[in-house]
Amino acid sequence: MIKFLAKRIASSVLVLIVVTFLLYVLTDLAIDPLQELRTSTSPNKEADMAARTQQLHLDVPSPLRYLWWLGGVGGCFIGRCNLGSSWKTHQTVLDMLPGAVGTSLKLVFAATIVAILIGVVVGLISALRQYTTFDYVITFVTFLMYSLPVFWVAVLLKQYGSISFNNYLQHPRPNWPLIIVISIAAGLFWMGAMAGSLRRRLINLAAATVITFAALTYVFTSGWLQHPGLGLVGSLVIALGAAVLVTHLSTGLNNRRSLYAALTTAVVMGGAVYYGMQWFYHFYNPTVWLIALLTILAIAVGVGIGLAFGGPDKWQSARTAGIVALIAGVVIFIDQAMQYWAKYSKMSQISGRPIRTIGAGEPGLEGNFWIHTVDNYTHLILPSIALILISFATYTRYTRGSMLEVMNQDYIRTARAKGLSERTVIMRHAMRNALLPLAAVVPVDLMTIIGGAVMTETVFGWSGMGKMFADGLHQADIDPIMAYILIVGILSILANVVADFVYGILDPRIRVTA
Amino acid sequence: MGSPCNMHEAFTVFPFWEARGRRNDFHRGLRSPRVLTNGEHVKKHLLTAGAGVLATAMLLSACSPNNGADSSDEGGSGNQDAEVKVMWNQPFFSMNNESNTGNATANSNLVYMMNDSFKYYDPDLKLQENEGFGKIEKVSDDPLKVKYTIGDKAKWSDGTPYSAADLVLAWGARSGNFNTKDADKASDDEGNVKKQKGENVVFNAADPQVARIKDFPEISSDNKEVTFSYPKPFADWEANLALTDGGLPAHIVAKKALGTDDAQKGNDAVLKAFKDKDNKSLTKIANTWNTGFDFTKLPSDKDLLVTTGPYEMTEYKENQYVTLTRRDNYEGDRKPNIKKVTVRYNEDPTAAVQALQNGEVDAIQPQATADILKQVQGIDGVKTDTGDDATYEHVDLAMANGGPFDPKTYGGDAAKAKKVRQAFLKAMPREKIVNDIIKPLNDSAKVRNSFIQVPGSPSYDQIVKENGIEQMYGQQDLEGAKKLLQEASASKPKVRVMYAKDNARRQQEFQLIKEAGDQAGFEVVDGGDAQWSEHLPDTSRYDASLFGWQSTSTTVTESEANFTSTGQNNFGKYSNKDVDKLYDQLGQELDTGKQAELEGQIEKHLVDDAFGITLFQFPSITSYREQLSGIDNITVAPTLFWNYYEWKMQ
Repeated sequence: MIKFLAKRIASSVLVLIVVTFLLYVLTDLAIDPLQELRTSTSPNKEADMAARTQQLHLDVPSPLRYLWWLGGVGGCFIGRCNLGSSWKTHQTVLDMLPGAVGTSLKLVFAATIVAILIGVVVGLISALRQYTTFDYVITFVTFLMYSLPVFWVAVLLKQYGSISFNNYLQHPRPNWPLIIVISIAAGLFWMGAMAGSLRRRLINLAAATVITFAALTYVFTSGWLQHPGLGLVGSLVIALGAAVLVTHLSTGLNNRRSLYAALTTAVVMGGAVYYGMQWFYHFYNPTVWLIALLTILAIAVGVGIGLAFGGPDKWQSARTAGIVALIAGVVIFIDQAMQYWAKYSKMSQISGRPIRTIGAGEPGLEGNFWIHTVDNYTHLILPSIALILISFATYTRYTRGSMLEVMNQDYIRTARAKGLSERTVIMRHAMRNALLPLAAVVPVDLMTIIGGAVMTETVFGWSGMGKMFADGLHQADIDPIMAYILIVGILSILANVVADFVYGILDPRIRVTA
Repeated sequence: MGSPCNMHEAFTVFPFWEARGRRNDFHRGLRSPRVLTNGEHVKKHLLTAGAGVLATAMLLSACSPNNGADSSDEGGSGNQDAEVKVMWNQPFFSMNNESNTGNATANSNLVYMMNDSFKYYDPDLKLQENEGFGKIEKVSDDPLKVKYTIGDKAKWSDGTPYSAADLVLAWGARSGNFNTKDADKASDDEGNVKKQKGENVVFNAADPQVARIKDFPEISSDNKEVTFSYPKPFADWEANLALTDGGLPAHIVAKKALGTDDAQKGNDAVLKAFKDKDNKSLTKIANTWNTGFDFTKLPSDKDLLVTTGPYEMTEYKENQYVTLTRRDNYEGDRKPNIKKVTVRYNEDPTAAVQALQNGEVDAIQPQATADILKQVQGIDGVKTDTGDDATYEHVDLAMANGGPFDPKTYGGDAAKAKKVRQAFLKAMPREKIVNDIIKPLNDSAKVRNSFIQVPGSPSYDQIVKENGIEQMYGQQDLEGAKKLLQEASASKPKVRVMYAKDNARRQQEFQLIKEAGDQAGFEVVDGGDAQWSEHLPDTSRYDASLFGWQSTSTTVTESEANFTSTGQNNFGKYSNKDVDKLYDQLGQELDTGKQAELEGQIEKHLVDDAFGITLFQFPSITSYREQLSGIDNITVAPTLFWNYYEWKMQ
């Protein structure tokens, strides 16, 4: 194991050195720090150019400058890190990094998690409905999304998701054709996902269409969008629904203890705790840390209820109830944020146009935790959708492929033959194995998100790592560019090592040896 | 209001009811009827309990707190409290707009709003006085002496009056006259001027115009009058030390550099250091001046934010936005109507347009392209002004590269080479380029006819009248060009035209030039080059270059580098002794009328010698919300910010 690690690291460092060297030299060829001076008519242009050449050592060949840079990087091992600095702003790269990494994490983290969740679920369903129209449509749509250029998606999202939507909020006039089209699309989706006999499918189609239509009509005509909220009833209903669904997927509804534990949790969290939290938040303005603590507490409550129901499978009940508690907790949080939506929309900086197209936050916004939370989301939503649309395709394809492979294996047939319920076969036998290949993809994706998203950040005006890189190129500033390359390089190497280990732990057939 | 007590909200959860029911059927396609039966069974049980719980819930929700209710109406956007948000492409990074590194529009725009200055440009590019801050007057012609009188209202935001020390610091630092070591020899590996020790004075600046003032000025006893004398007459004395700001606060610099804690003592220390050339103190002052005022987020040290103007910086989120807030204790003349000006940063022009459309910013100045113009014109409630930008497009000819425009090619026959040059310029489709490429972006676009002055500047018309460019190249003249080529007995001279390969507009221009040149009997070769700006000094690569010069002011000495024999920007190696002499004269001419005359004479030579040709001023697009009035762009820095004090939000 240690030998493997040592070997891996040694070869990685070599690769990293070669990569950074090549990129340093290539970048240096591509950029020209003197460009803006060349077309200047300033009387002291000559002195400026000489000064800058001297400052940036442009008269020194780039391989030599690379060695200097490498020396600074090497200093990191003895606590004297020097990644250079931006010559334009005098800011050291080390000083630029924390802000950039933070912004990128904030932007990409949620989007990646959601993309993985949606991708896996859609991939699984797609595999279970192999070669149906549903499968083909999903394949078509995912590939379409995958091939869309993000700057174009971004422009469309801003136009319809923000500008048109905000126009609607200011002058609410429902767009009936759109609502009808969406309703029918939703009907078709559920029909495809449910499968079954023709009659069953038609019922699904009709039911899903009508329900979507009713829901959209309510949302768009009742003023709910201007004053959203779930209320105690909504919270309870969602929690109860989640309880049944989670139990069904996790232990099966046959497991009565589990089901009752989940339902109890739903009533406690979605009802009593929801109600209590209304008063709690009324008097206390929370912080991020308090919210984190409350989340942990919520899960603990769920687990506690699960354990209290006892029985031989009490940890299964605990798991189920814990998940339900988490969902109910999230609902409480979202509901609370929704309650501030109207107030946020009316603030003078927002003036009735809550979905924002640029930046990570509204300048000069003053308000409590919830106002800032809403502000975060109104800025996050569009770039997140852009990232999700484009990246969930990969997960869908991976999941679908490996699920199909697993479903065709002998042990699945054996499992079915011995009379296991289809839920058990799929959830416990097939899915777990089918998700193995994802263990190789997900760590890499999760770690490289620190590298940010160059295009998305630029178009949506988020100053994360990707923007730092893009700006560096724009302004012929090589040190930030190299810092980006270095960090993304190190992370992808690390992520691959982690993926190897995760694989080794999850799959007993694989052993990590030299 | 988003009250949790609202009964209607039960409807919103319809999908979840449904989802539960459907999930039970989820695997029906894969044969599993047992689950369903059990599901149904359980459901019956639960419905009774569920109904009870929900009923209780509905009752309870009637008495929940109303958390999101807005207690006050925030929409108080009265005229005096208005906020204006402007989108800009590059973030601010230094309060010192005058050092070599800090000199950038991103800084000067904000520095301009945060500081008062003696003069500023108006839309006609005339220098205007800011009398509340002070006056600049010439007290003697020979030797040239200029008196700066500081007004009583000129005060720093911490209450300290603006005084001689501040002006002397600006002069001493910007001129570089006090440097004991070259700025470029004193930088470290990262390209910043290193902090110097001992007696190494290095101000990271070298403004040749300021450097003309050599001697320490006379200062009145109340420190309100400073008289600088110039060893030689200098044409641009009026603009010297007068634009954008009055420099950094000397008392703060002294506090940081020399440890003085009293403003008066600080000012005295700075004056004394410059007067006595106390290199030990000057070294410390230079260190502070060079980098002490650089920051990329709001500094915790409020001293760095001391300014003389009506606005002070109150918020700066790194790479995101800067907010300037109107100061209550500002006494000067330029009191703004707008309470807060926020500058948000984003480079993407489409993003800027959409942000404007979504009300996130109130004014933008995106890169001018036909698409962008169409987009902004399509927005309701937004006004769009098109106009000129500070950059102008032109064609330069290489006269010493052994090419078609070099006398050497014709055995040293300068007359022949000139005819070939004239032929090429006569073939230039100037009108067509402007009509086809620039007019769609700027209705009022015209061919630029002066090498030196921006259209709209006070002396432009006079210069154009004198330089004769309209008679010579006013109309494209293919026949004339052919005739000239014949006279020079040059057949099909090959002209390599270099331009920015990745610039769509220049590609179009080149196509038009090629078409016309080929018709006139030239063989125009595509010399598009991605690294054109690096290759400009190397005329072995091209015979004609097509690019833009960016003007930063209307001072008469600015163009010197382009046209004098040894000029830094004279890549084509044009050399005319008369032009050199005229520039010498111009630099020392104090009468603005005579200046224009001299400029006209210089340009006459440029036209006669077929130096090259000017094409057009770059177009600019300024779009802003209709409620915002007073926006009026000018072609030099601080562009649209110049009249921030006249902006009004309805």
